[in-house]
Amino acid sequence: MGQGLAGYILRRLLWTVPVIFAISVLVFLLLRLGPLDPIESILGQRYTEEGAERLRAKYGYDRPIHIQYLKYVQNLFQGDLGVSTRHQNFTVAEVVIPKIRVSAGMNVMAMVLIFTLGVPVGVYAAFMRGTFIDPLVIGFWLLIDSIPVLISAVWAPWLFALKLGWVNLSYEGVLHPNIILPVMVMSLPGVAGVARLMRASIIQVETEDYVRTARAKGLRERTVVVSHVVRNALLPMVTVIGLALPGIFAGSLFVELLFGIPGIAREALDAVLAPDFDVVLGLVLFGSILFVLANILIDVAYGFIDPRIRITATRGG
Amino acid sequence: MTVQADVRPLEAGESGWQPAPRYRILRELVRKKIAMTAIVLIAIFYLAGIFSPWVSTHDPNQQELTVEARYAGPSSDHWFGTDRAGRDLYSRVVYSARTTLLFTLVVILTGSVFLGLGLGLLAGYRGGWVDALIMRVGEVLSGIPTLLLIIAISAAFRTRITDLVFSLKENTFLGDDARAIVPFLIIVLASLPFAWFGSARIVRSQVLAIREQEYILAAETLGVSTVRLLARHVFPGILPIFLVGVSASMAGLAFIEVALSYLGLGVDPSTPSFGILLNEAGAVRTFQQFPHVLLFSGIPLILFFFSWNLLGDALVDIVEPRTYRR
Amino acid sequence: MSNRTLGLMMGAVALLIVAVAVVFVLVLAGGDGDDDDSAAPASEASDRDAAADSGTDDAGADATRDTSREDSRDDSRTASGICGENRLITFGDDPATVFDPIQVGDASTAEYTAEIFGGLVTLDLDLNVVPDIAERWEISEGGRVYTFFLRDDVVFHNGRRVTADDVKYSLERAADPANFSPTVLDYLGDIVGVRDKFNGSASEISGVQVVDEYTLRIELEQPISYFLQQLTYTVAYVVDREQIERDPDGWTRNPNGTGPFRVKVFRPLEEIVLIPNDRYHLGPPKLDEVVFSLSGGSLSTRFENDEIHVAVVPALELAGVLSGESPLSEYYLPVPQLAFSYLGFNVNEPPFDDPLVRQAFAHAINREAINEVLYFDAAIVADGILPPTLPGYSEAVTTYPYDPARAAELLAQSRYAAEMPRIILTFSGSGGDPPDTLQAYQQQWREALGVEVEIEAIEWSAYLRELRRGELQMYAAGWIADYPDPENFVGKLFASDSRLNHGGYSNAQVDALLAEAATLQDQEARYRLYHEAEQLIIDDAPVIPTFWFINHYLVRECVQNWVDPGTIVPKYRYVEIDTSGE
Repeated sequence: MGQGLAGYILRRLLWTVPVIFAISVLVFLLLRLGPLDPIESILGQRYTEEGAERLRAKYGYDRPIHIQYLKYVQNLFQGDLGVSTRHQNFTVAEVVIPKIRVSAGMNVMAMVLIFTLGVPVGVYAAFMRGTFIDPLVIGFWLLIDSIPVLISAVWAPWLFALKLGWVNLSYEGVLHPNIILPVMVMSLPGVAGVARLMRASIIQVETEDYVRTARAKGLRERTVVVSHVVRNALLPMVTVIGLALPGIFAGSLFVELLFGIPGIAREALDAVLAPDFDVVLGLVLFGSILFVLANILIDVAYGFIDPRIRITATRGG
Repeated sequence: MTVQADVRPLEAGESGWQPAPRYRILRELVRKKIAMTAIVLIAIFYLAGIFSPWVSTHDPNQQELTVEARYAGPSSDHWFGTDRAGRDLYSRVVYSARTTLLFTLVVILTGSVFLGLGLGLLAGYRGGWVDALIMRVGEVLSGIPTLLLIIAISAAFRTRITDLVFSLKENTFLGDDARAIVPFLIIVLASLPFAWFGSARIVRSQVLAIREQEYILAAETLGVSTVRLLARHVFPGILPIFLVGVSASMAGLAFIEVALSYLGLGVDPSTPSFGILLNEAGAVRTFQQFPHVLLFSGIPLILFFFSWNLLGDALVDIVEPRTYRR
Repeated sequence: MSNRTLGLMMGAVALLIVAVAVVFVLVLAGGDGDDDDSAAPASEASDRDAAADSGTDDAGADATRDTSREDSRDDSRTASGICGENRLITFGDDPATVFDPIQVGDASTAEYTAEIFGGLVTLDLDLNVVPDIAERWEISEGGRVYTFFLRDDVVFHNGRRVTADDVKYSLERAADPANFSPTVLDYLGDIVGVRDKFNGSASEISGVQVVDEYTLRIELEQPISYFLQQLTYTVAYVVDREQIERDPDGWTRNPNGTGPFRVKVFRPLEEIVLIPNDRYHLGPPKLDEVVFSLSGGSLSTRFENDEIHVAVVPALELAGVLSGESPLSEYYLPVPQLAFSYLGFNVNEPPFDDPLVRQAFAHAINREAINEVLYFDAAIVADGILPPTLPGYSEAVTTYPYDPARAAELLAQSRYAAEMPRIILTFSGSGGDPPDTLQAYQQQWREALGVEVEIEAIEWSAYLRELRRGELQMYAAGWIADYPDPENFVGKLFASDSRLNHGGYSNAQVDALLAEAATLQDQEARYRLYHEAEQLIIDDAPVIPTFWFINHYLVRECVQNWVDPGTIVPKYRYVEIDTSGE
């Protein structure tokens, strides 16, 4: 594992730099050359050429575009992500970090919910395969998966808040019971995916030699299932956790919009439409870096689990 | 942007892929009742979309501004009832299906098939830095908050499209449809950079796997041309797994248009779309008073997503009966 | 794969899951604890559950059960619910700028700023100009010089006394070119020397003189009859020089103003909490706290669930409140706004360069039907430009009633009777009439005139730019008063030289009337001139006024003295929660 793996990680990391650089340039150009103008949004109907010029000078938008980009990069390396034009006097970090915290909190809860439901469902379905229960269970969760958040965010508050009176809807912070309903709405569609993966994983593990050996040794079925099959079948789920990692910081736009949660996705939407140059750019960079790192982590984890993949992956890229 | 757990479970492993006999998939699909039901539902949805001018009973935008016609329940005249402006909900749903159909079709053809297949083949065949470049770019593109960037791109183009619309209207066969088509093309263009990677990755790993097969190596040494090689040996091998990928990504793809239109950033306001329907129906209070609006505009969409999900699931079982993994 | 690696991986995964699970359980446990505090709703929920189980699925029965539930919930919650504390929970929009009076350009930020700061004069709930920091004032030299006599008991939140120097500092700060105030020229530009200061050619505003500690003299370029109205806008508010100089970047997070409230909490997109300034010179607020919930979500659902005192209902959701036996209808409170929506024309571009076409378009739309169906009769069809709640409104002004025959006739007489150029109606997300309504117009024009109008949606900032450049042929827009005076409508939107006159409308007669009215001191005579101008404008039809805005509110009955005066007025100091439980 030593040399090959380290080299592999290094190569992937080296690739990351130009790709993220390219993305930052692209997004920068898209924002700066696009027709949306933050100065227009700030001034609204009070726009005058003079006032606009002053504001452009204040934010440095009057300089040539490559200078603006270099300036941005220079500030970036000094840990300065820029300032928000929508929330004047607030820095990007001040605007973004509290919202990332909210979204991260909700997503962690959602992930736990997805796994606590999805893993048992998958195991159950796998052991019930061949009967009508397997497609029924999986089909049920696929149906849940098919209901867009746009719809569940309407019927769920109606049912649980108005009809049954079980929950309140005001956002009171991530660590408040009112968050349970939005977390449910956000996570239930994900259960099907985990359940299907778990089911497939179990089915595969069942055919492995060591399971057959364990059975042949005459171990109790219970022991075989718990300590061999389920345990090993859980391994590929690492991938899912890893892939969900950037999602943790992404937030869920419609849940945030419809339940009134001050998360990062709403901020991002407003920032894009305003537009709030530095906030959008900061979010995109943050998201891409996180994603690339998560991808590398997964590959590494897989390398540990299955050396065959590591070798082919090395060969492939 | 939710935690979507069913990530790339559909790729075949590097090891031992056997090209399926030609009609096995079809036979297996017919045998599976669930998959058949799904296919029938999808077919109904698509037929409604294709033939919407004939299937619909009213003009989807024709308002009837009377109190009696507002939020009317289902009746023999209005099968799904009417909405707040007295428009016929059934016709609006049928035309929305057309929007969904067009959007998914165009994005799949250009994004998944054209770009995805092309770039995937390129990456798999050429290998080396070409492969690495394509894969890394794709990874990052699919990693950054997709919906956010799609919104940014479409917002950037939604400025003065009028001149384009009119030149299209006067100089092409599009005629009055130009007004609807330009905003539509904008969201298609905005979605494309994010639509190719899933299938490109599948194709690439398939190409890598197939190239290891002895008969391909043999064919290569025998000097069979690349085109023939692709057509005779590689495509048939890729096709099933490619179909699996497409059907699994269909619901997510269709949702992009719904989401954008819901936010008022998608299709033209006079083009019916499920996003616009859900936005109009989507208030808790309205749902309580007039549930038919949300139910009749929501259930067709849910069934559409459900059918594709079921079909994707069934296809996985058929194509990769033993397992699926990275 | 070695057993050790496997163990490590498993351990890591298990650890992650367990850790996250613990957090989750903690959250859930916290939830249980919270529920215990108010045991009533929980037990009630189970009662309701039982009721639901035994009930039929019949819709009618459902509705009656619904209302009875509503009642029982109110009863059980008044003791511990939101009506139990003298704390108003209302909604608010996320402020678009910081709480710096000279930066404020939007209504939502202005609402908070008006509660935190104060100026020389303010508005009462009936929109009259009343004393604030200034106790009284004298107007001399034919309305050109204002002398303000300040109260001697006005203090900032931190207790420092306000003097004439503070007022002068605040006005000069507003005009300081380094501060980029977007509003100073609109509201204070008539003061002698403000423009010089703003252009950087003067270090002081020569027209603002401190006579003594509590006397301030303001000189205008020319007599402006609505100057006091302009002074009520946020840009003229008094700020604390000491605080700003101590913390130039951060002071806006907890500004030291002279207003009735202070900022306790400000979390963007979450909430703003204001607490009373007990030394407020016009009488301290009666509430213990005002909570503005900024997070959005479905306000009417939260209202129905008894989580918020005041909610605003968007037009799309009106159906749920106003139709049938909605339990919310008894809390419904419509409030006319000082605003109107309109369809604007570029009067220099075909076909709208012919007034007959514009008049035909105005006659062809059936706004009464739209109001009845789409707005549940809860809007007001605009019968003029000035809204009825504005001081100086006149009933005598008339517009174009729905008359398709007359519309067709007018169009036939116009230059474009034979061939109509293409017509595009542009709108953006907010501001004007919603898309449904525009589509209704579109259909009515098609039916009455046989004219096909295309509707185009563009982004807000692009819309503003095109509007300013006069490149929109026909657009849906809205206008909300900055200060309650007819000038703010008729003058700002239709004077030839106003930069808010986007349609290129120019009528010498109107301009003359506006110029005359601007300097007239006799209020009634002024209003008459504005009415004359208004009628002239309507006859020319550079815009079609469509609706006067109404805000649709839901207000709990325990909230006393809650009003919406229709524009930015400090109003929360009058509000009180009746905690007696009725």
